[in-house]
Amino acid sequence: MKRILFLAALFASANAIAAEAPPASAQDQPPHNNVKLWQDVRSGQPQFTTVRGVETGVLIQSRGETWRELRNGPVTLYGGILLCVVLAAIAIFYKLRGAVKLKAPLTGRKMARFSYFERSVHWSMAGSFVILALSGLNMLFGKHLLLPLVGHEVFSWLAVLCKNLHNFVGPLFLFSIVVAFFLFVKDNIWRASDLHWIRTAGGLLSGSHVPAWRFNFGEKFWFWIGLVFVGLTISISGFVLDFANFAQGRSIMQTANIIHAVFALMFICMSLGHIYIGTIGMEGALDAMRTGYVDETWAREHHELWFEEQQRKTAARESGTAPASGEPAAQS
Amino acid sequence: MARMKFLCDSERCISCNGCVTACKNENEVPWGINRRRVVTLSDGVPGEKSISVACMHCSDAPCMAVCPVDCFYHTDEGVVLHDKDMCIGCGYCFYACPFGAPQYPQMGTFGVRGKMDKCTFCAGGPEPDHSEEEFKKYGGNRLADGKLPLCAEMCSTKALLAGDGDIVAEIFRGRALNRGKGADLWGWGTAYGKEGVKPKSDKAKEGTS
Repeated sequence: MKRILFLAALFASANAIAAEAPPASAQDQPPHNNVKLWQDVRSGQPQFTTVRGVETGVLIQSRGETWRELRNGPVTLYGGILLCVVLAAIAIFYKLRGAVKLKAPLTGRKMARFSYFERSVHWSMAGSFVILALSGLNMLFGKHLLLPLVGHEVFSWLAVLCKNLHNFVGPLFLFSIVVAFFLFVKDNIWRASDLHWIRTAGGLLSGSHVPAWRFNFGEKFWFWIGLVFVGLTISISGFVLDFANFAQGRSIMQTANIIHAVFALMFICMSLGHIYIGTIGMEGALDAMRTGYVDETWAREHHELWFEEQQRKTAARESGTAPASGEPAAQS
Repeated sequence: MARMKFLCDSERCISCNGCVTACKNENEVPWGINRRRVVTLSDGVPGEKSISVACMHCSDAPCMAVCPVDCFYHTDEGVVLHDKDMCIGCGYCFYACPFGAPQYPQMGTFGVRGKMDKCTFCAGGPEPDHSEEEFKKYGGNRLADGKLPLCAEMCSTKALLAGDGDIVAEIFRGRALNRGKGADLWGWGTAYGKEGVKPKSDKAKEGTS
């Protein structure tokens, strides 16, 4: 009797299992291997943890390795080569071509080129840039160039200074860029004469005269590509890194760091050209940004169309009529 | 000399967080920092597994490779340590580390990062062993006493093993053979590479023997 009951029970339970559970497949049973576990570990997705914080539930974040390879590899190597090449190119150009000298003698008559406010904005941009560039270059190349010379203690002291300067001066740079954009955008709009400037490369190589408005195409390129595009990209990616307290994850910071480094190196290279032509590369250029005034000869030889426009405005002001419009009259 | 490694047996970890507590108690870590944490996968469903993770003291350590002031070093036993006096708090080691080990006390203004803090394998720092400075900056130094990290020593199920890589690997191999499953060494490929034995850039600095 007992035996029959047992068999009946066994039969019933077997039926019940068959009714409830669909045919067993690999997915229904806890697997004998840990495939799912290893997939979850490598997924980089946050799992459960009691430790509070950003990404504490992530076991392995693999993109850091990519970041390391990029930063320590091509960014450092090719960035360094690029800087050297640009510096060498400028040195060779200076050796071959020399400074751009004025052809006519100075008139002694000065023209206002940059207002006090414009110069203030320019120099706050320039000053913050120099601090950021030097401290930034130290972060990337200092370990290889400076550290072996000065030793760990001194270098670390310097690096702390650089890091804090970089983090606090950064926002000033962005602020200066934004103000400079609104100040100078009017005179950086494309004009028909820019095409001629591009065709002749500004007469830099030939030495021929290329008339330009207040800013020539070289300056406009520096404004739009350098200041606006590259400058803003550096600033925005820098803010992602600077303000680490917005709970942004590692992934976005790794990306931001690479963008920041690449664009900063590009910006430094372009700025070297800008600094060269603004100082030793051209006679009288630095005076414009230092004193705000340029000699009439300089204005005629470098920004002829702007010079003529200013002359007409002055003449109109003196004769008491309304200032002439921006475009020159047909007969002039 | 022994090459120190951590090993977490995911078949054994019961996510009691004893290791996390032990670590905090032994090292008196700065506020808001957890040198060790337990992560649970498939939480609450069949196949749930837990893993305790901290700095794995990698052979080719990413933190060391990217540090702009070169403040990391391998001890003779392969433990990755760093010099907090040199650390500038840039965050690079934190970007590079796959395990999320480096952390920073948030030092006020705009969340500026302070000196990086991470697991020391209970091996202190570059200061003289058991000095007050060493304890303040890095916590305890059990290795100097011939003891192993407290997290592993306290582990109730012996899921977390710490010590000579060859010995812990041998213990784990025995377990895997006996139970016939769970033979994967979590994180070892990432931390110790294929060879998984010797640190690549072994450069012990002064005062750290």
